[in-house]
Amino acid sequence: MARLILMFNKQVIKEYPLLKESVTIGRNEDNTITINNLAVSGYHARIDIAGPDFILTDLQSTNGSFVNDKKVVSHKLSHGDNVMIGKHVILFVGVEKGKAAADRKKMDMDKTMMLDTAKQKELLAKQQKSPQAAQAVEKIGVMEAIDGSDIGEIELTKKLIKIGKAHSSEIKLSGLFMPATVATISRRPSGYIISPTGGKVKVNGEVVKDSVQLKDFDTIDVGSYRFQFYEKEVKNS
Amino acid sequence: MQIKASSISDVGLKRDGNEDSFSTDDSLGLYIVADGMGGHLAGEVASRIAVEMINKSFRKWIEEEAQANEFFGKPDSSLSLKGNYILSSIRLANKVVYEMAMEYKQYHGMGTTVVILLVTPTLIIAANVGDSRIYMLRAGELERLSKDHTIVSEQVEMGMMTEEEAATSPMKHILTRNFGSSETVEPDIFELEPSNNDRFVLCSDGLTDLVTDEEIFEMTQSEDDPENLCRKFIDTVLKRGAHDNTTVISVFLSDVEKRGGGSKIGLFFGDLVVGIQKIIKKLIP
Repeated sequence: MARLILMFNKQVIKEYPLLKESVTIGRNEDNTITINNLAVSGYHARIDIAGPDFILTDLQSTNGSFVNDKKVVSHKLSHGDNVMIGKHVILFVGVEKGKAAADRKKMDMDKTMMLDTAKQKELLAKQQKSPQAAQAVEKIGVMEAIDGSDIGEIELTKKLIKIGKAHSSEIKLSGLFMPATVATISRRPSGYIISPTGGKVKVNGEVVKDSVQLKDFDTIDVGSYRFQFYEKEVKNS
Repeated sequence: MQIKASSISDVGLKRDGNEDSFSTDDSLGLYIVADGMGGHLAGEVASRIAVEMINKSFRKWIEEEAQANEFFGKPDSSLSLKGNYILSSIRLANKVVYEMAMEYKQYHGMGTTVVILLVTPTLIIAANVGDSRIYMLRAGELERLSKDHTIVSEQVEMGMMTEEEAATSPMKHILTRNFGSSETVEPDIFELEPSNNDRFVLCSDGLTDLVTDEEIFEMTQSEDDPENLCRKFIDTVLKRGAHDNTTVISVFLSDVEKRGGGSKIGLFFGDLVVGIQKIIKKLIP
């Protein structure tokens, strides 16, 4: 059976067997391995079991995780690896070759796996709420009217934003020649993308033919209206 | 709007069974691929249940024109009504897979990814959980309409890993979200307007493991028939060893009407032009 040996100043503090569940390492008490030291983050690192392998993942800790003196984000542990968390060292003791195959059904990493223990879920949720993870802030697009009209700032909270004369438009514009929907902005994996649907739309002075991804401080002209696009940070609640 | 769709699912060269499931429904414009996991055929069960449940519940809500109070779970105000139908059907299907996995010993630990495309004349919706993908080819560019829910791609998003490192990482198949492992699941959902000649490819990771985005782009661009495109994808995967099940659905749109709506005065001019054309045709036979 593989195990972890927690050491400080070359003194063994405790041994932990690596069983079925993932192991978390951090300062908070609900970790599998609690290290009460200020150099260690609340939830510092995690070791997942993936088939026959053990994979260390740094949970965006403040001071990083090191394996054999090299900083790692994720690392497949090998027998004898020294994992340094703050000033503590965790020695990974793998299974001797040959026995490993007998111990665990050989699984190839090509096979899709899922993290499915209840504990894992809890920790993932906590990790998202922890202060370190909060650094990965969410951004939201804003269209700000800069033509002196009273439209002001419109946050693009919907996945698909319609611009035009129709009452159902998220950005409602008026004008004799304004179509019901002149353009749409959709929020996609790559960002905010504006596409004209029945009228002329200019981004930074150029007429948009098919669609264009909006970047910070792009100016958008629609009819007599002018907007500036930018993304602002929103706090994750 | 015209829809031409085609699909193929292939067991590959290394696996005994096919754990992928899929469905195509041209009348609803609903296309689904699910990649199941879990031994002893449980993966196949998970993916099949997911696909069936989503089809059934989505159809029911569409037909009944269900309103917010009938949704499964809290409605998402950032989505359209149809987007909320998709969201609800995903939540419901996940719960069914989850409960079966809890209830029956032989299904314990089963799960599945899901990727959904809804095509209507006024709205395209793409939704996913896990690492099956949707690609869209529009105006000469290939775009992903799904987000991989894997440890690796989340690290790429946070800037902790490059795309190149991600592609070779031993952890690229470890999912952070999937159907069946938790009572609730939140998909990524995207909405956009259709555009003429849009082409979509839905696929399980059997394709994306062996075929790069650039190759998917080139093949989707150069094939004019969705059936040929599916065949080409599968042939390429088989040539490269096909270590996993592969499922692809290709959906090609044509005759999509630009829905400007037109201003009243624009419509008036439009009518005027059509009227004049008619008069001219009568005058000059």
